[in-house]
Amino acid sequence: MMTGERKPASCFLDEKTFRLCCRLFLQHSESIQDGWIWEQIKGSDEGFMKKTVLIPVKSSLLDKQHESIQAENTELPTDDFEADAEDETAGVDAVCESHAVLRYEYHVLYSCSYQIPVLYFRASALDGRSLSLEEVWSNVHPNYRQRLKQEPWDTLTQQEHPLLGQPFFMLHPCRTEEFMKPALELAHAQNRKVNYIVSWLSVVGPVVGLDVPLSFSTAVSAPD
Amino acid sequence: MAESSLKLQFAPFCSALEAGFWHQLTQKKLNEYRLDESPKNIKGYYYNGDAVGLPARLTLEFSAFDADGPTPARCCPASGTLYNTNTLEAFKSTDKKALLDKAANEIWSAIQSGAALEDSSILNKFILLTFADLKKYHFYYWFCFPALCFVEGIQLLRAPLSLEQHFSDKQISSLQSAYDNLCASSGTTAVPHFLLKYSEESVEVAPLKELNSFFPDLKRVAVGVYDPCTLPQHPGWPLRNLLVLLAKKWASQLDVVEVLCFRDRTLQGVRSVQHSIIFQLRLSDPAPSAVCPKSVGWEKNTKGAMGPRSVNLSECMDPKRLAESSVDLNLKLMRWRLVPALDLEKVVSTRCLLLGAGTLGCNVARTLMGWGVRHITFVDNAKISYSNPVRQPLYEFEDCLSGGKSKALAAVDRLKKIFPGVNAEGFNMSIPMPGHPVNFSDLTVAQAQQDVEQLKKLISEHDVVFLLMDTRESRWLPTVIAASQRKLIVNAALGFDTFVVMRHGLKKPRESEESSPMSASSSSSSSNTPAATVTAGSSLFSNIPGHRLGCYFCNDVVAPGDSTRDRTLDQQCTVSRPGLAMIAGALAVELMVSVLQHPEGGYAVASSSDDRMNEPPTSLGLVPHQIRGFLSRFDNVLPASLAFDKCTACSPIVLENYEREGFQFLAKVFNSSHSFLEDLTGLTLLHQETQAAEIWDMSDDESI
Ligand SMILES: [Zn+2]
Repeated sequence: MMTGERKPASCFLDEKTFRLCCRLFLQHSESIQDGWIWEQIKGSDEGFMKKTVLIPVKSSLLDKQHESIQAENTELPTDDFEADAEDETAGVDAVCESHAVLRYEYHVLYSCSYQIPVLYFRASALDGRSLSLEEVWSNVHPNYRQRLKQEPWDTLTQQEHPLLGQPFFMLHPCRTEEFMKPALELAHAQNRKVNYIVSWLSVVGPVVGLDVPLSFSTAVSAPD
Repeated sequence: MAESSLKLQFAPFCSALEAGFWHQLTQKKLNEYRLDESPKNIKGYYYNGDAVGLPARLTLEFSAFDADGPTPARCCPASGTLYNTNTLEAFKSTDKKALLDKAANEIWSAIQSGAALEDSSILNKFILLTFADLKKYHFYYWFCFPALCFVEGIQLLRAPLSLEQHFSDKQISSLQSAYDNLCASSGTTAVPHFLLKYSEESVEVAPLKELNSFFPDLKRVAVGVYDPCTLPQHPGWPLRNLLVLLAKKWASQLDVVEVLCFRDRTLQGVRSVQHSIIFQLRLSDPAPSAVCPKSVGWEKNTKGAMGPRSVNLSECMDPKRLAESSVDLNLKLMRWRLVPALDLEKVVSTRCLLLGAGTLGCNVARTLMGWGVRHITFVDNAKISYSNPVRQPLYEFEDCLSGGKSKALAAVDRLKKIFPGVNAEGFNMSIPMPGHPVNFSDLTVAQAQQDVEQLKKLISEHDVVFLLMDTRESRWLPTVIAASQRKLIVNAALGFDTFVVMRHGLKKPRESEESSPMSASSSSSSSNTPAATVTAGSSLFSNIPGHRLGCYFCNDVVAPGDSTRDRTLDQQCTVSRPGLAMIAGALAVELMVSVLQHPEGGYAVASSSDDRMNEPPTSLGLVPHQIRGFLSRFDNVLPASLAFDKCTACSPIVLENYEREGFQFLAKVFNSSHSFLEDLTGLTLLHQETQAAEIWDMSDDESI
């Protein structure tokens, strides 16, 4: 009740603790090869935690991407290499595969203004074109689409990545406290230390298709 | 033997580019390369731990330009040469065969000299030819993964088996630790090529450079290759040049070579190399004459043909497109999260004509932009004066200098600055008004006629007309024209601390005009409220269908143009409370949006204050006829009123005269005193019978 009294289970995280939490998180990820890495921005001490997930999809989903410049493309030479094309089939055989792959990138950044971690993500095709949110969702299970529309996930926006300067989708941190507070308070009541990144990512990750294996909750400790 | 006729087939690399690569290429081109077309060193990587179903990829990220930078853990680096051309022409005309030959020759000489043994990464070179159209953010690219060929192909002696079919558990775990040790001793987390020796008890591996000493005899030569492919019957591309190296080294001395395509994945912490494949083959001499063998490697395009690929990144790189998609996304999220039934397309595609670019016009425009409306047209004849910018949010001090810019044109400029995706246009023109003669000269008549024609044209080209002027009279002509054209009007007017925002009744389409209004209303509104049983005064006017609603002038008992009358609204804009225009402007747009969401649009039955407790007719709620606000009480009411058959703007007789005589009729209205319209509509007569009622008087008189 008293003003100035701060709950021990604070929803805020200073940057140092963020880094420590990330380090522990990354250690476990490395041990199970979950694919998380720390991406350091060249020439600065800033960085973020990153994971890339590739998912094969029906190629029809990605057809749209080619429509736009294909018209202009028709003039591009495709005949120059007929000789080579013959080589490919005659000389040394190559297997033909048709690939449609979606690449999901998840970035965990520290937000100084909110003093909590923020999840950025984008999905792209193998040629680098980012997908619109509709395209992302059209590839998402309907149940989970429904969930995404429900609170507290009504906070998705398109934002420039603060370190990369490229457009990303972001789960706005304004409602993080809402779901972190009960989790942290419960842990506090049970005298249990939790790694903020693990608890937080386990909640926000699945909403945007990011799985956080259960072993993170059991194996990753909180920084001292 | 059937088996001996089996030829080995390879899975080509599939190029994989991260958006960051294109962003970085753009930066490099703009800041560093500029017009420099010389080849640049870049790097990519590939991975052998993919799940089944993923193609073997060569990935380039934003870090690709840092040729000496780190490679992601457990990935193999591949060094490449970037040829970025300045023009599409140069991209097309680049001699691709020469580029491939050049790379192939480098690989071949590294094989011949033995340099490839020391550093086998030379075997995994790639070429990337690009053209970046930075005006359109279109990128054209063509990858090449050079591979030297055996003229006769490669004979399989034993078809691929998965490693677990060929190795015991013991051998597999021995292989794993041998490979891990090799990585550790070479200071990496992935080794692209290695030598292999195994017995039932153990597996030994060694770096490629020990080729000359590792095998005791050439009877059992076995090599391992870090294999990005996931197909059970085929190796990936990197094996190709390694086989050429082996063949060149021992030519026909080898009867058989055993190849392990090493695949190493970890799922949920469980490692597996069991799905690696292993097979035996026979190598022929690739180039008896020491001339570089034929090479292949240009990637097919998405159609499966030999040709370049292209990608349009304007959506994530063009700032204007980014602004548009962000605006759209915010609106869509509103729909997805809060109002699933919202028909955004209807709102966004509505063409809005704003008559008046002053206090109200500015605020209406900004709210329309907030809704994603793209098509906004301003009409105003005023210039921006020093008092305007503080109340009219589209203008700045600078706009007032040297006599002031035209409001209509300055508003357009500002909208485009705020949001380049807007389709805005401005018309610096006057709207002729009743009681304001135009017959001073032929010239003034012609001008008035031209203005009327222009206004008619503009109204016909838009879906919704906003009346946002600061005089009452100037609303008359657009009211008549829009009523005649069956266009929805949203009208906003301000007093000092009061405002009215209303939609004009939308007359029925002409075909059905013949039918009785009563029967039409009962069918369209499904109203079953018998007027006779209603007790509360305001309820008399409940369930009025849109086509029977009144216009701004319907409540008047005098015609516009009467300058003697003391008005509560209009002409006082500049002395209204400053917040009022923002409130009224915003409400005008929100009213329009609600009307658009109603399945019957402008014909929607008017909601009243009483409906606040009922099931709303649209996903956004009520669709009132009028919103009258009283800032002194911080209160709004939602009255509805019927069209008045003696209305000086929307009554049948006025519309008939207008439609029959056109400008002749309008000129009479402009040039005459207000009594002309009052006489025409019968208002004069009525005037004598009834006491004029203040329009603020919310009594039943409103409907007359
Ligand atoms: Zn009227």
